[in-house]
Amino acid sequence: MITTSRRARLGWNIATYAVLITLTIFCIFPLLWTFLTSLKYEADIVTQTIQYIPKRITFDNYVAIWTQSGFPTLVFNSFVVTATTVVLCLITGTLAAYSFSRFHYRGRGALMLGYLVIRMFPAVLMIIPLFILMRGVGLLDSRFGLALAYTSFLLPLFVWMLKGFFDAAPKELESAARIDGCTRLGAMIRIVLPLARNGLVATSVFVAIAAWNEFLFALMLTTSQGSRTWPVGLQLMVGEFQLPWGVLAAGGIISIIPVMILFAIVQRTMVHGITAGAVKG
Amino acid sequence: MSTLTLNGVRKSFGALDVLQSIDLELEDGEFLVLLGPSGCGKSTLLNIIAGLETPTSGDIFIGDKRVNDVHPKNRNIAMVFQSYALYPTMPVERNIGFGLEMRGVEPDTRKRAVDGAARMLQVDHLLDRKPGQLSGGQRQRVAMGRAIVREPELFLFDEPLSNLDAKLRAEMRTEIKRLHNRLGTTVVYVTHDQIEAMTLGTRIAVMKGGVIQQLADPMTTYEKPANMFVAGFIGSPSMNFVHGTLAREGDTTTLKTDGKDSTTIRLPRVAANLENLAGRKVVLGVRPESFAANASEPDLTGTIDVVEPTGPDTLVVLALGGQTITARLGPKLTVATGETLGLSIHPDSISLFDPDSGNRIG
Repeated sequence: MITTSRRARLGWNIATYAVLITLTIFCIFPLLWTFLTSLKYEADIVTQTIQYIPKRITFDNYVAIWTQSGFPTLVFNSFVVTATTVVLCLITGTLAAYSFSRFHYRGRGALMLGYLVIRMFPAVLMIIPLFILMRGVGLLDSRFGLALAYTSFLLPLFVWMLKGFFDAAPKELESAARIDGCTRLGAMIRIVLPLARNGLVATSVFVAIAAWNEFLFALMLTTSQGSRTWPVGLQLMVGEFQLPWGVLAAGGIISIIPVMILFAIVQRTMVHGITAGAVKG
Repeated sequence: MSTLTLNGVRKSFGALDVLQSIDLELEDGEFLVLLGPSGCGKSTLLNIIAGLETPTSGDIFIGDKRVNDVHPKNRNIAMVFQSYALYPTMPVERNIGFGLEMRGVEPDTRKRAVDGAARMLQVDHLLDRKPGQLSGGQRQRVAMGRAIVREPELFLFDEPLSNLDAKLRAEMRTEIKRLHNRLGTTVVYVTHDQIEAMTLGTRIAVMKGGVIQQLADPMTTYEKPANMFVAGFIGSPSMNFVHGTLAREGDTTTLKTDGKDSTTIRLPRVAANLENLAGRKVVLGVRPESFAANASEPDLTGTIDVVEPTGPDTLVVLALGGQTITARLGPKLTVATGETLGLSIHPDSISLFDPDSGNRIG
């Protein structure tokens, strides 16, 4: 009996690991393949037989994309747009989430639902009106305009996530702070925000990654090199008669580095933030 | 001079009246306990006094100043919350001194004040710790330190002991009483624990359904409850209620109990108004400790249903013609279930209530 149950458990363990390893390979392989491609000479990329491990290694692709294209500008633009989006979300979203969490007023439920409904529309549906709107106010082909467009669909996510973190902060703390001499806003900044810090970091990282990787809005709302972001720039490098695989791969790898660094720095805070309140802490 | 005056304070949430015209006047140095079951409006009343909620109508005066539109921070009050509400991100020292910090008190003065309060509450060795590293009792002391350091005109306590275990609760109760004796500051204290109310308060306001049922000193509340709710809420085991009809038998007044196995209870007190009540249906209220075992001349006789020895005394539940009463008798009582027991009622310790309104009639 014991042997049978042990065998069964072993079988289950093997099956579990097999599934997990397959999934890991499935996720990591494209990244690894891109990385390996970025290290290959052009002649070694398009070959008769697939060459998994490069025989010769070169960093020419990285040098090429950084020096011979507008890639640094694209990355810089992405930085500016992402940072602006995060700041816009932080300022407006924090106040909105706090108001949803703490105050009861007419239309509160409808407003919150409205925020959620915006998320339900496909981006394609929003993009034409947004294009016309941006053109009308002269924000087409500007980094701020793009950040504003990102804020329009990332703010709901930010507000809803942060509202959860604010809900978890006990109201009595604010009452105590108000008696101790804080205003409502003062109590929020001094007492509630430090408590919701993990949530704030986690939510901001989500928004930052979404803004950093966004493609469709950037394609539609930017037309010049001055405001274009890296996903669009990289896509435009695909020419009609040539496909510079090595350079594209190098661009891809450079672009995911900021995301990886961001994750590495905030990973612990973020996991803590996401699971906060799930169990009694 | 009165520290706190409430005139016709009402609070409604939509159609729900949480407080119905509360009038109160608190003298300097008084310790008022707001006592009542959950949902009776006592915490709402405290929040209104603190300025955390606005009354629907009515006036609130602290000292001689009307404070209805005054921000909580400018009311010169301090509050201790049920959950302690210590700021989790700040060490104890900053927690205690936060109110002073917000008022722009110099760091040196602040430190002296914090040290003084911490010493008084024996938390001076914990000043560097965060609230998360403290035990329940220590958190409670820090919360009190935060309140006393500001030297307010009025202390507000919102069920401050309900999160502590029984032993610690008794300790902290003594501590709060000692603190009040020492500081002499006026206190409004919310609780649902009648022991806390009895031991701490100079006056108790028993609340139910947003109405103050009785406002009196603890012993009056206990011995002469204004109605059956107050009588039943204060005291453990609670007051015995026996439904019946009053009658005169010569010099004595008796109560003929309701129910099919009716029995007669002799009432020991000859009060002036008792004679006028003869023939009237009443509810007799007697505290469990007002009974004494008396075999020779009992005022009432019943069958023992349950015997519960608690150590210092014995609780005996007696079946009395279809109704039951609980008597608190001496320790080491040799009685058994099913036996007949005669009891006498202590003179001057009976209450009579109107069965319809529940109000005290004698």
